[in-house]
Amino acid sequence: MNIRGNHTLSSQRARVFAAICDPDVLLGVIPGCREIEQTGDTEYLGLISLRLPGIVGTYRTVVRLVEADSPNFGKLEGEVEGSLGTIKGDATFRLTEAGSGTRIDYEGHAAIGGPLARLDNRFIEGLAGSLINQGLRNLDTRLQADTPVRVAIDRGQQTRETRA
Amino acid sequence: MTVRSYFLPRSLPEALALLNEHEPELLVLAGGTVAMPLINDGISLPEAVMGLRLAGLDTLERSGDTLRIGATATLTQLLRQDIVPMLHEAARKTAGWSIRNMGTVGGNLFTPPPGGDVAVALLALDATVTLASTRGERTIAIADFQTGFMTNALAPDELLVAISVPIPIGPTAYLKFGRKHANTPSVVTVAARVEWDGDRVAVVRIALGAVGPHPIRARAAEDLLAGTDLGPGAIASAAAAAVEECEPFTDGIATEWYRRKMVGLFVGRALEQLAGGAAGEPR
Repeated sequence: MNIRGNHTLSSQRARVFAAICDPDVLLGVIPGCREIEQTGDTEYLGLISLRLPGIVGTYRTVVRLVEADSPNFGKLEGEVEGSLGTIKGDATFRLTEAGSGTRIDYEGHAAIGGPLARLDNRFIEGLAGSLINQGLRNLDTRLQADTPVRVAIDRGQQTRETRA
Repeated sequence: MTVRSYFLPRSLPEALALLNEHEPELLVLAGGTVAMPLINDGISLPEAVMGLRLAGLDTLERSGDTLRIGATATLTQLLRQDIVPMLHEAARKTAGWSIRNMGTVGGNLFTPPPGGDVAVALLALDATVTLASTRGERTIAIADFQTGFMTNALAPDELLVAISVPIPIGPTAYLKFGRKHANTPSVVTVAARVEWDGDRVAVVRIALGAVGPHPIRARAAEDLLAGTDLGPGAIASAAAAAVEECEPFTDGIATEWYRRKMVGLFVGRALEQLAGGAAGEPR
């Protein structure tokens, strides 16, 4: 499986890079992610459950950040293992400034083993692209929600204090 | 076969409780026309399956200006109704009779392209879907339900329970182009409708199937048509816009290039049908 694509997020690069390395953020944005823990300086262990049309399953996922040049570039390696097979691969991502936001370009390669390997390649690559897009949309929403919410709460407190 | 438990709930609350208890490993089966080929091929290996055929979700009823379709109403049921002719036509052009007897309207929303011909019609009709869980119900636009290739807005504990279709007040057109006349995967499917304000287009919807990760709206084409008289020039511009904005793919049925070419042709034909107006339709 080969996959590449890009997505533009409305937050600055440093925040995007930090978020990609933050297990708490990842738990909320990776589709189907139920658990995630940092098991080393650059290693993460996650449990991802996906309900796809006709296919349900939980996948144990190990991801290592093997190269990091914050906030520009990162390289990930990982394995996904579940009853439907295994996926082993690596991916790189590059962050560039795009106006006040960030463009992320990613590229990945993976080898698939087990029953999942019988699925048509168009399905595997289409699904992977769809899950990555969903995750990046979630990340964008999460990062956008963080800033204004804090401002709004601060303003609210000021307003209440002023009124008090 | 690895299935250890098969649940057959007799009501929606029972189904929702079972899903809540057994997700995320519970495979939900409606007609089984998507899941069973994957199970039979050994690609899908569910341990627990819930069949919805006795859960009481197979009703199809008109309420005022809305047709409410239970998620497990079959495509054959859709074929037998004449309240929304576009849905009759979409069901007629989907698969063959044996699949239509099993396949459900709800299941069609989960069918990866080039399948999902009924979903294309539902998108053009501005249908909404009702999603239920033990936490309650919510209703969202079908355009927000399908989020990507084989992905959707369902939470892990939610079921799709119904589809509500506003009965269209203007003419509609539904064209499916396949390699054969019947029982054929789609090269491109076009569902379109228009509402007139005098001789001007007030509302227009163009939905495309088999040329994206899921049924998509040709929004640039729609924007070009708003306020026009749907004349030949406007139709040609809209068809060209649809060709640009679609996201076709190559499979065993057709190449990306050919699908894109056919989008222009069939969007044009669908719009010409709308411009001509069906007998008895207001213009």
